[in-house]
Amino acid sequence: MLVYALVAGLLFGLYFSLVGIGLNLVFGVMRIVNLAHGDFLMLGAFIAVGVSALAGFDPLFAVPLAFVVFVLVGLVLYYLLVPRLQGSVDPEMLSIILFFGLSQVIEALTTIAFGTSERSIDSGELGKILAGLRVHVFGGDADGPVELLGQSFPTSWVISAAVSVVAILLVYVYLYRTRLGTLTRAVMSRREEAFATGINVDRVSAVAFGIGLGLAAIAGVFAPFMFGSVTPAFGEDATVTSFAIVVLGSLGNPLGTALGGVVYGISYMVVQTYLSSWADLLPYVLLILILLLRPSGLLGRRVRVA
Amino acid sequence: MPPSASPASALLHADGIVAGYGTMQVLWGVDLDVRPGETVLLLGANGAGKTTFLKTLVGLIEARQGHIVLGGEEVTRTRSSDRMRRGMTYMSELAVFPDLSIEENIRIGAQALGHANPNARLDELYGLFPVLREKRRDAASSLSGGQRKMLGIAKALAAEPKLLVLDEPSAGLSPLFVKEVIRVLAGLRDRGLALLVAEQNIGFLEIATRVFVLEGGRIRFSGTVAEMTDNEALRRAYFGLK
Repeated sequence: MLVYALVAGLLFGLYFSLVGIGLNLVFGVMRIVNLAHGDFLMLGAFIAVGVSALAGFDPLFAVPLAFVVFVLVGLVLYYLLVPRLQGSVDPEMLSIILFFGLSQVIEALTTIAFGTSERSIDSGELGKILAGLRVHVFGGDADGPVELLGQSFPTSWVISAAVSVVAILLVYVYLYRTRLGTLTRAVMSRREEAFATGINVDRVSAVAFGIGLGLAAIAGVFAPFMFGSVTPAFGEDATVTSFAIVVLGSLGNPLGTALGGVVYGISYMVVQTYLSSWADLLPYVLLILILLLRPSGLLGRRVRVA
Repeated sequence: MPPSASPASALLHADGIVAGYGTMQVLWGVDLDVRPGETVLLLGANGAGKTTFLKTLVGLIEARQGHIVLGGEEVTRTRSSDRMRRGMTYMSELAVFPDLSIEENIRIGAQALGHANPNARLDELYGLFPVLREKRRDAASSLSGGQRKMLGIAKALAAEPKLLVLDEPSAGLSPLFVKEVIRVLAGLRDRGLALLVAEQNIGFLEIATRVFVLEGGRIRFSGTVAEMTDNEALRRAYFGLK
């Protein structure tokens, strides 16, 4: 049972890393807490439902679609909301209020459009175009579960974890191997110094905001498979979970989110396995513990003081 | 007192600059000019308005009144990145990006301004600051305070400026490192680079061509170093002499 909990925890953890990484990227660059993060995740889930149930395609096709749509939405929202916010006296406090309001609006509009009923997708739908490859790599039959360390896991969990790893690696490539990514890390390191160095901070922030929303939407595509179903109210829980993961890893360090996600995922599955009724408390308990014991997170920055 | 350079002949000419934060006015009509190749020291105590003035010059704070002319062009309402592209780079007190490597810091100095060949520039700068070459893969946060200032100067030099504006390069440094910073700046001055240095450390007088003294957001004195040391009131205020 422990092996199952640990492997399932790792799969969920990789997925949770994707859930939180967009929130952390946005916070790292803009010092703004996007309280509507979970709502963009929820909208990504609805795109997956649409692609699968309405269009009849493999939900994997929703991944690039959700990413592109929400990067564009992010760019529009950024230029619409953020420059006015940054020009205010207390942008961090105002951002909390503004994005909380945005979260409520998104939830209300989604409820009006789709109702409050739970939406799910048959787990066999995810990755059906890759069924041949999966049988070749993991064996078994095309519709069955995947065997890992002698334990059986739903194929959708493995695909979600694999896509999450790819997405996180691409974020790494963006941040550490591209010119815009280096400028993004510079803004994350010291926003004021970025202005002083002549970096176009607005452009860097807009791209980061778009990518952050795009990553949330990709995570949302897999939410119906990882959590069974989604409703318009799903966004609130997703934001709290994301926040716990981000604080656990290191606020403002997107790649720390990967560690935070894995620690959270393993904790979540171990608690789910042995103390299932306590599992819903986990994000809050972890948030309190990390803030009391190591407020800078597991990968908190240490700077040499000259 | 030497006359101010005309806007056309000065590399940088600031005229009647008024600036501040919100309802607080910090600068009350500040005039200053820097000619090609000279080193100007902006001397003032904490709170005199030195940083506000430099930030206004480089475009990080908007001037409420007055004019800034850079290389003969009015730049008062242009973005900071535009002023930097026109040849004025700025080293803030923070100086570097601590989470980035030393090489990334220098590359950003060059790339943010669209430098055509950052690799060649890197080699030149490593020649000027050999200690940075040795540690080029390390995070800037691992450097000592003095080394961070060197990196800050290298970052600001990466875009090949005509005028380097430095905000308190001695801040937080031991006297030994302050001497090292002065030595490096003297070397840049000798290469013909114009420098505008805001300081409260009078040790920087040894590299200055002219001095402007800022007090309470107003220029109280401008002239040569010799003229400043001849001024009894300033001698008392800054040299502790009677």
